[in-house]
Parts: sequence; C-alpha cells; structure tokens
Amino acid sequence: MAGSPMLKLLVSLPLDLLRGLYRFVHRLSTNKPGFVGFLGLLLYFFVTFIMPDFVEFDNEPKLDQIAGPIGSRIQLAVHRDNPQWDSLEALAGKTVGVVDQTGGPSFIEPWRDTLAIEKYRWTSRRQGPGIPAALTDLANKEIDGLLIFSKTVNQVIVEQEDAELRQLFQDNVIISNSTLGPPHLLGTDTQGRDIASHMVHGGQILILTALIGGVIATMIALFFGSLSALAGGFIDKFFTALANLFLAIPQFILLVVLAGIIRFDSTLYLGVIIGLLIWPALLRAIRAQVLSLRERDFVEAARSLGLSMNHIIFREILPNMSSYVLINLIFSITIAMYFQIGLVVLGLAPISDYTWGVMIYFGRSRGTLYNPDGASMALSPVLAIALFQVCLVLFARAVEEVFDPRLRSAG
Amino acid sequence: MLHDQQPLATDQQPPAPNLSLMTARLYDPLLKVYRNYTARVFLQAIITIWVVMTLTFVLVRLMPGNPVDVLVEQILTAEGISYQEAYDRIAASFNIDKDATPLDQYLQWLGDLLRLDLGTSITSPGTKVIDEIARFLPWTVFAVGTGLLISFVLGIFAGMPMAYYRGSKLDHILSFFSSFSTGVPNYIWGLLIIIGPGISWRWFDIGALRGTYDVGLTPGVNAEFILSALEHAALPVFTYIIAILGTWMLSMKSSTTGVLNEDYVNVAEARGLKERTVISSYVGRNAALPLFTQLTISIGFVLSSGVVVEEIFVYWGIGHLLFQSITVRDYTTLQGVVLLLTAVIVFSNLFADLTYGLLDPRVRVSGEK
Amino acid sequence: MSAMSPETILRVDELSIVYRTDRGDVRATNDISFDLKRGEAMALIGESGSGKTTISLALIRKLPKNAVVTSGQILYQHDSNVQDVLGLSRRQLRSFRWNDCAMVFQGAQNAFNPVLKIRKQFEDTARAHGWADKTAIRKRALSLLELVRLDPERVYDSFPHELSGGMKQRTLLALGVLLSPQVVILDEPTTALDILTQRAIIDVLNDMQRKLQFSIIFISHDLSLAAEMADTVATVYAGEIVEIGGVDEIFYRSLHPYTYGLLTSVPTLEHAQDVLQSIPGSPPNLIAPPSGCKFHPRCSFASDQCQVDSPPLQLDIGSHLAACWHKDRLLASRKEDA
Ligand SMILES: Nc1ncnc2c1ncn2[C@@H]1O[C@H](COP(=O)(O)OP(=O)(O)O)[C@@H](O)[C@H]1O
Ligand SMILES: [Mg+2]
Repeated sequence: MAGSPMLKLLVSLPLDLLRGLYRFVHRLSTNKPGFVGFLGLLLYFFVTFIMPDFVEFDNEPKLDQIAGPIGSRIQLAVHRDNPQWDSLEALAGKTVGVVDQTGGPSFIEPWRDTLAIEKYRWTSRRQGPGIPAALTDLANKEIDGLLIFSKTVNQVIVEQEDAELRQLFQDNVIISNSTLGPPHLLGTDTQGRDIASHMVHGGQILILTALIGGVIATMIALFFGSLSALAGGFIDKFFTALANLFLAIPQFILLVVLAGIIRFDSTLYLGVIIGLLIWPALLRAIRAQVLSLRERDFVEAARSLGLSMNHIIFREILPNMSSYVLINLIFSITIAMYFQIGLVVLGLAPISDYTWGVMIYFGRSRGTLYNPDGASMALSPVLAIALFQVCLVLFARAVEEVFDPRLRSAG
Repeated sequence: MLHDQQPLATDQQPPAPNLSLMTARLYDPLLKVYRNYTARVFLQAIITIWVVMTLTFVLVRLMPGNPVDVLVEQILTAEGISYQEAYDRIAASFNIDKDATPLDQYLQWLGDLLRLDLGTSITSPGTKVIDEIARFLPWTVFAVGTGLLISFVLGIFAGMPMAYYRGSKLDHILSFFSSFSTGVPNYIWGLLIIIGPGISWRWFDIGALRGTYDVGLTPGVNAEFILSALEHAALPVFTYIIAILGTWMLSMKSSTTGVLNEDYVNVAEARGLKERTVISSYVGRNAALPLFTQLTISIGFVLSSGVVVEEIFVYWGIGHLLFQSITVRDYTTLQGVVLLLTAVIVFSNLFADLTYGLLDPRVRVSGEK
Repeated sequence: MSAMSPETILRVDELSIVYRTDRGDVRATNDISFDLKRGEAMALIGESGSGKTTISLALIRKLPKNAVVTSGQILYQHDSNVQDVLGLSRRQLRSFRWNDCAMVFQGAQNAFNPVLKIRKQFEDTARAHGWADKTAIRKRALSLLELVRLDPERVYDSFPHELSGGMKQRTLLALGVLLSPQVVILDEPTTALDILTQRAIIDVLNDMQRKLQFSIIFISHDLSLAAEMADTVATVYAGEIVEIGGVDEIFYRSLHPYTYGLLTSVPTLEHAQDVLQSIPGSPPNLIAPPSGCKFHPRCSFASDQCQVDSPPLQLDIGSHLAACWHKDRLLASRKEDA
C-alpha cells in the first residue's frame, strides 16, 4: 500500500516532534535562567496569541473612566437634576467646564465642534479662573457640566476652610466612578480605555514583525553565508565584501531615513524591511561557523568517504548548525524588535495598529509619561517589551550553553 | 574584520616562512606588506563611504514632500505672484540650479563634497549643513564617548571576576544582570529612567534636564557651563552605560575564561608572581585585547542607536538633528548627517584595524596573527 | 618513614590525589613515596595518563581546582629547615614557587605571555621574589641565556612569538633557574620538539645541572632520554610507582614487567605517544582501576595472585625497589632471551 509509509510518517512525525520537544525542555531545565526565559516566552505567546480571542480590545472612550493625565481621577460634576449623563456623547452641544492642571485633555477634541469648552485652572496661580469660579459657574448654570481632573479633588475641597465652596461642591458635584485597579488591572488610558486589554492585543503584531524580520535576516544569512563558505572563491569574496559594506552603513539610521521615504502601510511590511537590513552581521557569523565546521573531523571523514556535497551539507553541516542558527535567529529577533519599536517611539512607523510601541508613543506625546499617576500607560508596554527581550536573551544564552556542540566540546 | 582581511594582504607577498629567523633582512618586505595592507584598508574605507554617499543621495531624493514645493505654495497664496516667479525666488534663495539633471546635481554634489562642502540647509536657508553638524555632533560624541568608555572599563572589571568565579553566585547574578543590560533596548532603559527616578520618585527634574545645557548660559570654559553640560548629559550617558555594560561584561568573561586556560597564566602563577601582577599583566591585558577591537567597532553602532535616546531625553545631539531634518524634510542636512555617521563608522573600523597592532605585538610586524 | 637525612631535599610521603569529576573520582596518584637528594636527577617515566604530571603539579601545589590531596605529605628541606609544602601559607607558597622549586611545564610552547617581552617576564619573576635591581637581573638573565646557548641580547629583547619552539623551551629553562632554585621539575621538556632540538635541550640541561647544582625531577615517557639525564628512575603506572632504582639497575636489571616493556619498545619519531607497541592493551581506567596488581590485564607473567593481591613495593638489592609478585620469572625469561 502506497499510503502506509505516509501514514506511518503521519503518526511518527508528531510523536518524534513531541519527544524532541520533551528532550529539549528537559535539557533546558538544567539551566535555570534559560528555563525561566523559556517559560516567560510561553507566557508571552499565551498572552499575545491566545488571550486576544477571549479579551476584547477596549476601544471606547468612556466618560466614567476618563482621566486627563491618566491616573488622576476624573470627576464629572453635573447638576443633580442631570443624572442621565453617562457618556461623552451626551455632552455634545453643551458647555462643559474643564478643570485641569495641564490644560485640555486630548480626548475632548473629537467633540470640539459641538462641545463648548470653558477652561479652568486647578490652581489660580496660572491664568484662568480656578476651581471656585468653576463651581460657581456650574451652580449658576453658566456651564452644563464640569470635568475635573485630579486625584485629590475631593480631599482638597472638603478640607477647604471656605464653607461656601464646600457647599457649592457638595450641592453640585456628583463624582463619577474613577477607580484604578480592578476591574482595570492596569488602569485606564487618556481616553478611559482599559490598558490591560491593550496590552493583550498590542503584542501580537510586534512579535510577528520581529519574527518576520529575524527569520528573513536569518534565512538570507544562512543561505548566502553557507554558500559563501562552501563555494569559496569569487562568491565568497563578493558576499563578504557586500556584508562588510552593509555593516558600514548605520543600519538604524538607514531605517529611519527609509521610514521617511516609504510609508510603511503595515507593521508586517516593516518587518520585511528590517529583515532586509540586519542580515550582514549574521551572514558573517554563519559563514565563519560553516567554515569551522567544514574543517571538523567528521566532515573531513564524510568527504574522504566520497559522500556527495548534498549529503555533507544537509546531513553533516546543517544539523550541527541548528542550535547555532537558533541562537542567531533569537538574537536577530531582538534586534528587529529594537529597530521597529525605536521607529515607533520616534513616530516614524505606522500607528494604525495599537501596539505596545504605539502605546509608548502616545504615552509620550500625550504627556502621561511625565505624570507620576499616569505611569501605567507607558510603563506597562515598556516593561512588557523589556521583559520580552530579556526572556529572549536568557533563552538564547541557555541554548548556547546547553546545546551548542562547539561550547560543549570545549567545556 | 581583522581576520577577514588580513589573508588578503598576505596573498601577494607571503610572510617569511620562519619567523624565528627574522632579522633586519626580512623586516623590509614584511613592512611593505604591512604598508600595502594599510593602503588596502584605506581604499576600502573610501569606497564604502562613496557607495553609502551615493545611496543616500538617491534615497533622499525619493523622499516625498519636496520642501521647495511646499514653500512655493506658501508664497503663491500669500503674495499672489506667478508660479514661475515664486519658484525662481525660492530656488535662488536655496541656491538650486533648476535646469540641472539629477546626474549633474550628483556630480556637483560630489565635487562640493570633495571640498568638504555639505551644502546649506533647505528649511533654514543660509545655514551651512557643516555648521549645523558641528553644532550638534560634539554633544553626541561627548555623551556616547563617555558612556562607551565608562561601560567598557566597568565591563572589564566586572567580567574578570565572572570568569574567575565561574558558576558562583556572583557569576550568576552578574550574568543575569548582563542579560537585562543587553536585552533591554537603550531607549527602553531611558524610558524606565524617566518613569522611575525621574517622574515617580522625583530624584531629578526631567523637564529641567532637556537640551544640552541650561538656557542662558554661554558656552565656554567656565565652571557653571561645564557643570550644567555634565548635568544634562548625565541621563543619556547613564542610559548608554547601562545598556552596553552587559555586552562588555560577557565579552570580557568569555575572553578571560579563554585566557585563564592558557599555559602562560599557569606558568606565571608557578613563577610565584604576585596575584596582582598575574591578574593585571597576564590575564587582564590579554583578555582585554579583543575587546579593544570591539570597542572601536561599536562606536558606530552606539552613535546611530543614540537617535532614539537623544529624542527621549530631548538631548540635542546629532540624533536630534537627524530626526528634525527628517520631519521637516531637510534633505541636505539629512544627507550630511548620514554621510558623517557613516564616515565615523568606517573610520572607527579602520582605526581598529590599524591600531590593533599597537596593542598586540603578534600582529605588529607581520600584519597577521 | 625514617628521619630525613640532610642530603634529602624533597620527600614525598604516601601521597594520594584524586580528581573529582562528573563520572567519578579519578585516582591519579596512589600512595606515592620517594626521596629526592640534593643534586640528584630523578626521572619519572610512564605512559601518558599514568599520573606523572599530577605528581609534579602537587609538588608546587598547582593542581587543577578539581583535584584533592586525600592523604600524604610533601616535605622540603633547605638549610636544615623542613617545610611541609602542603601546609604552606599563601605567602610562603608564593616564595617557595620558583625560588625553591621551579617547574617547566609540559608543552611549554605557550608558557610565555605573548604581549610581554622576554625581558619583562624575567624582570617580573625576579621582582616578585624581592629582587629589584634591573641591571643585576639583566646580567644574570643574559648569562643564563648564554648557558642555554641562545643569542642572549637578542632573545632578551624579543617577544615570545619571535622565537622558535626550541628557543622558547631553552628560554624557559633559563627562566627556570633564574632564582637558583634547589629543585627543577621538567615535565616532558622535549616532547613536541624535533630530535635535534631534543638533543640540544638535553645537553643544555646536563650542562646546567653540572654548573648550577640543582636537583631535577625529569618527567618523560621516553626511557632513552631519561637514561641520559637521570641518576634515579621511577616507573609510574596507573598512579603508582611500580619500580624505582638507580638508572643502571633499572636498565640492566629491571624487575617490573612494565618497566621492561617500556625498555623494549622502540619509540618512533613521529608518534612519540605510541611508544608502547610492545605492551599490549592500554592504560587502565583510573576511575575504576583493575583489582590486585593494576598491570595484570596487560602482563604476560600475570597469575591468579596478581588478580587479587596488589604487590607491595619491595626492596630488592641496594636501593632498588619493585612492586611485582613475579620478579624472578621476569629475570629468568630475560636470561633465556639472552
Ligand atoms: N583536571 C583533571 N580532571 C580529571 N582528571 C584529570 C585531570 N587532569 C588529569 N586527569 C586524569 O588523571 C590521570 C593522570 O593524568 P596526568 O597526571 O596528566 O598523566 P601524565 O602526566 O602521566 O600523562 C589521567 O587519567 C587523566 O585523565
Ligand atoms: Mg603529563
């Protein structure tokens, strides 16, 4: 039966893979940091590739969670006879007073046409009337509602000596829900959206992009690096020279310039470009490795046995390179990650996908980075990226120590 | 680089077969090879720079949103003159030869370059690109140089004990730290510094540390200015240090591990040398050798990866200039900056190749290890 | 053991050393004892892997980190002052090394720091032992370099890579006696050198010893070299001294089949390592050595007794000791051959 070997393969292949995986993990577990890195990567995979199916991306600006500079609790002050206001849309066409230390928050902009905004300053030291004036206006119905951005508004006003002000506040202000922490594990961003949901959804594309970049670079390097080392002669000289030339160009700068020229419509496209940029160092590493393998005894032996070049490459050299290639792949993934997020932070990469990088970008451009209470919006992605990179490095080092035949035979 | 290129140099004139017999008689041809090698590396450097220059020339001209058109539009609407008139005026003020073909432009640009003329800025007419670079570059060189040097020295001193006490707790802790140091991108370190000590704990005022020195100070050799400049550079420098340190530590560790297995270290100990002597002149000196090459080569990388760091701390170095010129599409400045950074990289590699011999006597004479 | 006679400079007493490895303890040295006299040249011979280097490293306490001295003593006597080498403090040890006991390591090709000139390395050594006068050092070094038949001025100002293998070896010999040590250990000083250079080194050594009057421990797997150098020869097998005696006794009346095997094997130039074609089999695994006499699996005289009982190192005639149950059979068979 023609099908039977095929069938056998179908059964044995997954089994072999599983067994291989088990052995891999087993050996990896001898290296504690590496194992931690490996578990970390699994966790990242789970959070960014599986959890998005279960957690919805929170894209709706919410009134009751809006925070100007995030972390400062927003207080919606309305008249007691106006309890139906529970979303931003309801404010359209009304006059709303905004009291804020840092000026008007960006979320209000979409409603600018219909929403009349009076600005008040939290402290009257700067220009503009302060809180008492805002409360008076509210009481006099000169404004329809009042948004106050501050963590401490209750406290400050209630502790006020001024009994009249306290009264005004108590009569006219309903404080909307503005809790941090559960149900918003990581708090909310400048538009009142749940940061945790953004974290779940914001990693996948970044990781995919870095993977694409890393894989492309590694494939180019592997193919041309081995070719270069095995063919020698002119081909070798050509690729070595090419790699050296590319190495002399400041690659990140080149990417920055390219980003100014090409509109990267998608993040994944960016990954391809990065892959096409970062191969040269890799090529040299792989070429050197193939060269040294070529001199090894077992390859010499295979050659003297008259085995074909194909056999030597695919049976002798490549299997012995696998861990080395894996290590290089991981390191090029970290570089691709570095490049793309660097671009995003500079604002030169697409911000259409709401990734961790974009979160940092907005965190910077909207000033939450500079607000001690708003740290979460920038800090969450910053930490996520940092730890992801660290997991990769720990993992790569462990593979290097545990699996690289070069190091093992030396040690 | 070293190893790739040196065999080339010796292809033509093989070194004397027996170095033990090396005498003044043999010294001459070897010196020639060495000279030849120098010439060769120089030529390669020049070619590299030329290729990169041409590449940037082409790339930059592909950028959308030609600034001349933007300005012409502005005058057109503001003054109600004809397009031709407006264009001529802008072209004149920008010193653009409107009839020149791209090839002519390229050749002229090359010619200017040979006279070290990088042209004038497009968006702020009258400003020479070379002056702009001269204004911004020193700050980057200062910050990056300091960061590199400090991290290098720290890395050497941290890497050696890692090798000496391999497998100990100290080694594990330092290795773990180095994974953080190398894994976490430098701008992420910068952001962490801003968020943590800067904003949350208020150890310093991030806002006041923008720029390269306090506004209102006149640059010059006075204590106030220097202090202020140091203060402003502190955060970028610290970021560079922490982001590169891990690499040096690991390199030094593996290099030292190798040297510790060398016979001469064993013999040195058997000779009853003081531990200090063995550590410094026998282990340290040999282990640090390969790191010097790495140091010179990494200059370029750190320079260019500093763009984001400078942007994050609003430190006005060359990265800031580059970023500005990209956002306003000032392509003469952009060209100048890219060219300059490339030149720095190429020449630091060249420097590494040529000076290695000064550090390692084995390559001093033969140009080959 | 008996009290040390004033002539004895170094006494090794029931020394045992194991290497701790993942696969188990390698018992590289077992209950080894010998005395080295002032001005005496002793050769340790045996196949590679028999533990010669381990013994010599123990003498200057330069054993690898995984080595443990499980028992025994090493005593050094100088100016009727006896020191326990294994008990020396760090400072004492530093001064003992090279000043009292110098060692020329196996494979000395990389013995010199490649980035320092020979001059600097001589000076480092002298200064570490409290000798500061550079011109005095230079004078002494040049005379020693001359003694080893090198062009002193040129070598002194060279970098190591500018010297050939034989030149380096001779320079190392000169460096070895720079501080006039009482004992010089030479671990296979001629292996990896061509035959002419080997000769030259041996001549130089004999010459130096005559002039400078130090004791030598000469390690080799090559008996013929040992014969030219040594007053006393000790045969080492599997971490044990199986025979020890005067050079003539060993050569003309060897009492151990292993020594005899070494003698009758013909060393080939290219394959210095496979000297031992005439001894079948290979050296034993030192993690789990054979029972009884460790040589019995390879010995043509082996009997049932050899498999069970380990023969003691017994005195034969004069100072000739051997550890074998069947010395007579060996002697008898040699007579037949002759
Ligand atoms: N550092 C070490 N760890 C474990 N085993 C060792 C070590 N050094 C030597 N050995 C083993 O000890 C035995 C004796 O080695 P050595 O003293 O070098 O022999 P020789 O000098 O006679 O060739 C050998 O079996 C060798 O494999
Ligand atoms: Mg040995």
